[in-house]
Amino acid sequence: MTETTGERRLPGDPTPRHLVERMIRVDHAGEYGAKRIYEGQLAVLGRTRWRPTLEHMKAQEQVHLDTFSRLIGERKVRPTALLPVWHVAGFALGAATALLGHRGAMACTVAVEEAIDEHYRAQDETLGDDEAELKAHIAQFRAEELEHRDIGLENEAELAPAYRLLSAAIKAGCKVAIRISERV
Amino acid sequence: MMTLTEADRPARDAALRTILPLVPEMGWSLRAIAAGLADAGMAQEDAEFLFPRGATSAIDAWLDLTDRQMAVAVGDLAGLRTPDRIRALVAARLRLAAPHKDALRQAMAMLALPWNAPLGLRTAARSASAIWHAAGDRSADFSWYTRRASLAAIYGATLAFWLRDGSEDIGPALDFLDRRLAGLARFGRCRKRVMERRAA
Repeated sequence: MTETTGERRLPGDPTPRHLVERMIRVDHAGEYGAKRIYEGQLAVLGRTRWRPTLEHMKAQEQVHLDTFSRLIGERKVRPTALLPVWHVAGFALGAATALLGHRGAMACTVAVEEAIDEHYRAQDETLGDDEAELKAHIAQFRAEELEHRDIGLENEAELAPAYRLLSAAIKAGCKVAIRISERV
Repeated sequence: MMTLTEADRPARDAALRTILPLVPEMGWSLRAIAAGLADAGMAQEDAEFLFPRGATSAIDAWLDLTDRQMAVAVGDLAGLRTPDRIRALVAARLRLAAPHKDALRQAMAMLALPWNAPLGLRTAARSASAIWHAAGDRSADFSWYTRRASLAAIYGATLAFWLRDGSEDIGPALDFLDRRLAGLARFGRCRKRVMERRAA
């Protein structure tokens, strides 16, 4: 497929430049939120045997965040105005689920990473070959987010209290956050 | 929201060069755009493609052109501290605008009209962003917003001062800018002291 970004755009659709700006903005916000979720979980589970697992995932999110921060500077993208909100909301979500025990924390990870996987897959499909660098980053990050999901599943995520409800609520929250961060 | 397409930029820039000298006499008007296009040897029909909203589009395009010219005109800023970079960039903008001071005054008057407020805010944000980007700022946290807000306030005040200032050169305006930057630095130091005291 040799298509450029936004090639099949119709009048009124966002321009390729807007599309890429939105993607970088929302991905930056997402990785920032993800980092804060792991920080919130570490604040609760920091002295348990889950620490190395959480530290590992947080370190990977930090790399993703640094990449998108660099892209924001390089490509003159406006970061989302809601960063202070995600700063608090991410930490609160991480801490709250961790308070349900390590299973709650892992269920949160699984739900978030599944939502992010869907989101990255949609972006991967939208991006054309002219954005090869961004596309490669997204593909790599998506693989790492899936690894986090598998870590969550291996660590009894599905045995968390009210797993289905918890997972559905977190996923819905993630989708709303993604929609808002693209624009605001 | 109507954004000007990037593909037409060179044609718009060329048209602006002949429109600008006509603005003091004709104002930012369709008449000035038509006369400017004729002077540039461009077709009259281009007016609607290049400046879809007429005068306000022309102002939008001019400020965009200034944003780009500024970054080129200022040269290498690597050896300077951030406030000095900002000062050099604002000075470059004023020097670029100096031959068209009257056109700038009229443009500001147009942007001050309530129904042009969205465009006014957008161009102010774009210019502040262009100055910070040219000054080497690569922030990706909430300071992205605070930096631009404080710069827009200082630059807006400097511009207002300069438009009221009758002197030939931009010296007094730059002195005014230096005082504002010094005030901002004092505020920054003050805030840092408070934060340190709170942390202690």
